[in-house]
Amino acid sequence: MTVPHETSFVKLGNKSIQLTVGGEGPPLLYLHSAGGETEWTRFHDMLAQSFKVYLPAHPGFDNSDGLDEIHSAADYAWHYVDLLNELGLDNVPVVGFSLGGWIGMELAILRPSLVSKLVLVNSAGIRVEGVPMAELFIDELDKLRELLFFDPNSPYVEEAMPLSFEDSRILLWLKAREATARVGWNPYLHNPNLPKHLFRIECPTKIIWGRNDQLLPLGIGEFLEKEIPNATLQIFEETGHMLPFERAEDFTAATKSFLLG
Amino acid sequence: MKFFAFHLMPFDKLPDDFEEKYETAWTWVPNSLYDPVHGHTLYNRYLDELVYAEEMGFDGVCINEHHQSAYGHMPSPNLMASILARQTKRVKIAVIGNALPFYDPPTRVAEEFAMIDVISGGRLIAGMVVGGGPEYNSFSMNPTYARSKYQEALDLIVRAWTEPGPFEHYGEHWKLKYVNPWPTPYQQPHPPIWIPGAGSKETIDFVAERRYSYMGIPYFHKSFFKKNFDMFRDACEKNGYTADPEQTGWLVPIYVAETDEQAWEEYEKHLFFFINKLLKGLVVFPPGYTSAKSIARIGSALKQFLGNVKNREQIEEGGYAMVGSPETVRQKMKDYIQDLGVGNILGLFQIGTLPADLTKKNMTLFGEQVLPYLRKELGVNVEDAAAVASK
Repeated sequence: MTVPHETSFVKLGNKSIQLTVGGEGPPLLYLHSAGGETEWTRFHDMLAQSFKVYLPAHPGFDNSDGLDEIHSAADYAWHYVDLLNELGLDNVPVVGFSLGGWIGMELAILRPSLVSKLVLVNSAGIRVEGVPMAELFIDELDKLRELLFFDPNSPYVEEAMPLSFEDSRILLWLKAREATARVGWNPYLHNPNLPKHLFRIECPTKIIWGRNDQLLPLGIGEFLEKEIPNATLQIFEETGHMLPFERAEDFTAATKSFLLG
Repeated sequence: MKFFAFHLMPFDKLPDDFEEKYETAWTWVPNSLYDPVHGHTLYNRYLDELVYAEEMGFDGVCINEHHQSAYGHMPSPNLMASILARQTKRVKIAVIGNALPFYDPPTRVAEEFAMIDVISGGRLIAGMVVGGGPEYNSFSMNPTYARSKYQEALDLIVRAWTEPGPFEHYGEHWKLKYVNPWPTPYQQPHPPIWIPGAGSKETIDFVAERRYSYMGIPYFHKSFFKKNFDMFRDACEKNGYTADPEQTGWLVPIYVAETDEQAWEEYEKHLFFFINKLLKGLVVFPPGYTSAKSIARIGSALKQFLGNVKNREQIEEGGYAMVGSPETVRQKMKDYIQDLGVGNILGLFQIGTLPADLTKKNMTLFGEQVLPYLRKELGVNVEDAAAVASK
């Protein structure tokens, strides 16, 4: 990692929110996935070579508190309305991975002026008839890596998730699972009302999907491309759900060319 | 000292290679394995076994609630309790319990429990439980609300029993304009409330504060029970009173036969059907079902969990089951009861595949040769004595 970055806490109402910021350039808001990638990771670093990357932890993840006020992904979106306001940010590009993509869509619908462009990576939030999602809430870590990665033996697995219950990150991981379950247990990883609002996403939208995503299959990405007015879909071959980890260079290059182009 | 016969009502016909082929006896275990014709025999036989407990001089019978499970195929214990309310005349009927978050609105529990209490003439013990981890999958119910729903439901039920209706309830999870259940309970102010726990400090403090009764969740090593009951008694002291032994209960599988050797010979394979097949997949903690800290505490106790026990010696050492001749079981149970300081024994006399004839023999030997001894040795209160005399 090359780009200096710093973690601090933002006071937001009763909540204390963990926020890591790194890089120089135009601002970019990164909304993390259910896995809770709130540590500065390779692809954050790559993005920070062109942007000032804002990497907050959603309430209930890592050291951000306030899960008791969260009951839906829309509540997370309202939280980001408040956080962007607090940070004095407006009309910023938003990059959301999985759960983060879902929150990004809800945010772009609630407050279109806050979002200049939207990048959705293997995004949750939508259920498409005939495109079954897999079960994320399982305890067996070995099965989980099989589910989430195209190559479950890739060295990037360890970067993304604990490999055993003895792993020191396990408590953080349990917390992330709880926060995800809070908004994604039932309805499972989606908001049944979201499809009818997708036409309200006005900003240019780039959808990036792993061809081999077993958790949220490609059919969801194709549906989003069809329903969001100004969207294009790019498919990464031989890539699973954990696309930003599995294809960090390609993911950040595609994101940069879309946002800067 | 009170003695209860507890029935899980397990489904006892699973393929021999079940544990290799299936990951769990819960939630996802395909219901194509269920046989309703056999189920007809089974339900009626199990009810007969509970009715027989009254004849054998037990103080009460216990049943519980499980969903989508071969471990216990009794999704509605209230249906069973209502049958028992008619088929028995004297015993307490302990439903431990109703999984409160699964009743919507939870005033249904206030209604159904009151019905059983009224039909039985005040013999209901009202158990209130959160529901098992796997059952949050069975109902796709959000486990991150399990505790707060449970708390709200319990308070609402007690209020519905003790405060004249109609009244309004505006809680976090339920908004009810007219709470006014008919009937109200026969026992006043309300039936005794029993709450099972697996050792979380939050539950122990809560039960102690309300002066309810705390039932040890089964299948752990005796040392784990001891620690939990001690924690409970300490919590009662902190709340300004000394725990009544009858505020605690110990659930344990029991098998009595003519000799120790015969007992193990007859019992072992049925117990291991339970351990290897029916317990499989019981311990599941969906996200947020309990605090990460509690998961860690229970997780370490799991090393001493019946599901991980491999042989007879480990069962004897850990006190996971009381097995032997009447004399052996008498002495063992007397020591355990005194050591744990519990006032209620919830005995599982049928387990796994244990057939009807052996279950009946077990209950007869216990009722005739163990129960009277323990009553005499451990003290009988007036109510118990009256019950025995009337028999």
